[in-house]
Formats: sequence, C-alpha cells, structure tokens
Amino acid sequence: MKKVVIAIFLLFSVGLSTELAGQCDAESYTSACIPKLATGFNFLKSYKIDGEGGTKDKVEYSYVFTKGTQYMINLCTPGANVDGIVVSLYDANRNKVASSKINGQVVSAIAYPCNATGIYYIQYTFDGSAAHCGGSALGFKR
Amino acid sequence: MAKRNVMRSLIPMIALVLLAACSSGKKSDEQAFLESQDTARDNGPTIPEEVIGSILQQIPSPLEISAMLKESGSRYEPGLLNSPDNLPKYNSNYKKALNLGVFGTDLGYTNIYQKSKDGIQYLSSIKSLANDLNIGQFFDIETIGRLAANSKNLDSLLLITTQNFNNINGYLQNQRREHLSVLLLTGGWVEAMNVVSQAALATPSNKELQEKVGEQKIIIEKLILLLGFYKDDANMAGLLKDMQSLMAAYEKINIVYTYKESTVEVVNGVAVIKDNSSTTIQITKEDVKSISALVGAMRDRIIG
Repeated sequence: MKKVVIAIFLLFSVGLSTELAGQCDAESYTSACIPKLATGFNFLKSYKIDGEGGTKDKVEYSYVFTKGTQYMINLCTPGANVDGIVVSLYDANRNKVASSKINGQVVSAIAYPCNATGIYYIQYTFDGSAAHCGGSALGFKR
Repeated sequence: MAKRNVMRSLIPMIALVLLAACSSGKKSDEQAFLESQDTARDNGPTIPEEVIGSILQQIPSPLEISAMLKESGSRYEPGLLNSPDNLPKYNSNYKKALNLGVFGTDLGYTNIYQKSKDGIQYLSSIKSLANDLNIGQFFDIETIGRLAANSKNLDSLLLITTQNFNNINGYLQNQRREHLSVLLLTGGWVEAMNVVSQAALATPSNKELQEKVGEQKIIIEKLILLLGFYKDDANMAGLLKDMQSLMAAYEKINIVYTYKESTVEVVNGVAVIKDNSSTTIQITKEDVKSISALVGAMRDRIIG
C-alpha cells in the first residue's frame, strides 16, 4: 500500500514539475514591472507577455490613449536585458507610432507623449527571444 | 492478492468521491451566487469572453480624467461626487456593481486632489459593495486606510487602488461574471464624465475640458458595444438606451485624426517618442451643454 501511495505521489510530482518548467510565469514579470515605471507616472495596466514557448509570434492588447497625456510602457523579462521582446505601438489604422527597437537596438521602455486621442494597439513581438515570456506595465502622467 | 484487488477498486472510487465532493461544493457556492443575481446571466452573450475582455481593457481609467482636471486648474468639487451615505439605496447587484464603479471614481478623484480625509469616507462603502458582490477579498481596507491617512503616500495609494480594481476586473472575467465588470466600468465612466462635463460647463473658456468631453465619443462607442451584448437583460437594456441617447448627441461631434510619422530618440535607455500625429475635436459649447444634461440624468438614475 505504501509503495502504491509513494508511486502515485511521485507520478503527480514529476508531472507537476514538468508542467511548471514549461510554463511562463508572466504574472511575476508584470508585478516586477509596475514599480519600475519612471517617477511621476501613475500605474494604469499590466500586461502579461506569454509567447507560449515560441508558438505565438505576437501578443497584443489595446487601450484608448488621450491627447495631452504622456504614457510609459516598460518591459520586464528573465535575465538582465529584454530578451528580444519588442513593444510597438500602432494607431487605430495600424500605422506604427512607436517601437522599443531603434536602429537594431532594443530598449526596455518607451515614453509616448500622446498628441492624438484614439484606440492604440500595444503589440509585443519576439526578436530572437529565448524565453518568449515577460511582463509589461503601462503608466501615465500629465 | 485479494487485498491488492480491493485496493485497486477502492482507489478510483475514492477519487470519484473526492471529485464529486469538490465539484458539488463548488457548484453549491456558484449556485448560491447565481440565485442572488438579478442580472439574467442565462440571457448573457454567447460571444467569446476574450472579445468582451479585449473591449473592457480598452476603456481608460477615470483617474486620467481626474488628473487632467487637476492639471487644468479645475477646483476640487466634492459636491459633484456621489455621497457614500447613499450606500443603503443600493439593494440589487445591478446597482451595487454600478455604484462600486461610481465610488471607485470618486475615491480616485479625492486621491488625485490629495483630499485623503474625503477619500477615507468612501472606503467603507466600497468595501461593503465589494463584499456583497463576493469580491471583497480584493480590497485591503486597512492598508488603503493607512496609506490614505498620510498625504505622502499618494503614489502608493493610487497604485494599490488601481491594482485592486484591475484585479477585480480580471477575476470577474475569469469567473465569467463579465457583466459585473461592464457595470463597474460603466458606473465609473459615467461618474467621471459627469464631473468633467460639469467642469467644462463651469469654465466655458477652457477648450481642453470641452475637447475632453468631445473625445469621450470613442468610449461611448465601446460601452454601447459592451452593453449591447447584454441587451436581453432589462437593466442592461435601460443603460444601453441611455447610452444610445447620449451617442445621438455626439453625432455632430467630429474627431479628425491626422497621421504623421513619429520620431524617436533614446534618453537614458528609454525610447522617447515625438508624436507628430494629431486629433482635432470639433465640439461647441452648446454640445457640451446638451451632453452634460444627458449625462447628469443618466447618473441620477444610477446613483438614485
């Protein structure tokens, strides 16, 4: 009986740990990103970036940005740099208005002083990313 | 051998009993909640929850309007807010969810203006409504109260209250109770809209306030879309009708968008964008007057 119980416990443990190893804990990265918003920015939203191990080529959210307000979107990923995750901003007509990739260099945040009210798409893509996993926070200031 | 056979047949049975126990307990809680709902969930939308979720997340925080009001020089006007003493009026879950949104906006407004004493007045009403809607676990009133007691904690206070409301919306969507999220956001938006339209009326020379009223056309379109998913419910249909009347007043208002490629420079590791696009909002003082009257009437029905 004891052997059966141990065997069941081991089966559950191995299964669980394997599943966890393949998971993207995006929540922990979003939590880490919120306090990293620059001084003066008020937190608005947090966004999970889960590329599902590379099966997704982008993760997208949308938000109404307002003229006269400055927004900041930052990125948090495993490791020290941004792990190839690029955040880009598109207007309602899908014109690109901002990106964290500038001349081949990827930075960890964009500051966007909005001059045109409307729906914007916040798109995260993976440019040579290893983990395809991260988090992001959106803040505003007037 | 016989003992082993008994064990073999017992394990799946125990598992079944445990599963049944767990699921029946969950169903009982859920059933109790559903029975307490006066919003007809069964008549709810058949569209995927992701669609509702993606529209809900587009709605901007009322905090942005409060911050704009303060920056524009508008005076703090507590008389424009809903009184927390109105709490006993809210007996249905429909009213509770709407007014949780209203009080959330009022709390944010008092926080932005650093009127923490006024803000504290809202905390117990917020907690009470949240408890009644089974989402009270998301409000740590002790922490919020402690932060509110010291004006130096404004940033932390704004952060924690925003997180609480975000967590509630996420939870409600996971629980397939998005209709409550829709009500919460609608109540919060109507309250913010009432404050800004009253401020615009009071200072007709302030073009920025007028434009702020005008650009809400984008949000109304989203709210109409959301409420339309629940139009088979009498309460939601009433709200939808109000929102459609408001939209009719917005028909004359044009938001003209001009796209021009933005430029960028990297400053201290941050890509700082220069937005060269623009919007022009075509709205008159008369438009503001008719809109604020409609918003005021809608708000009276919500808080009354």
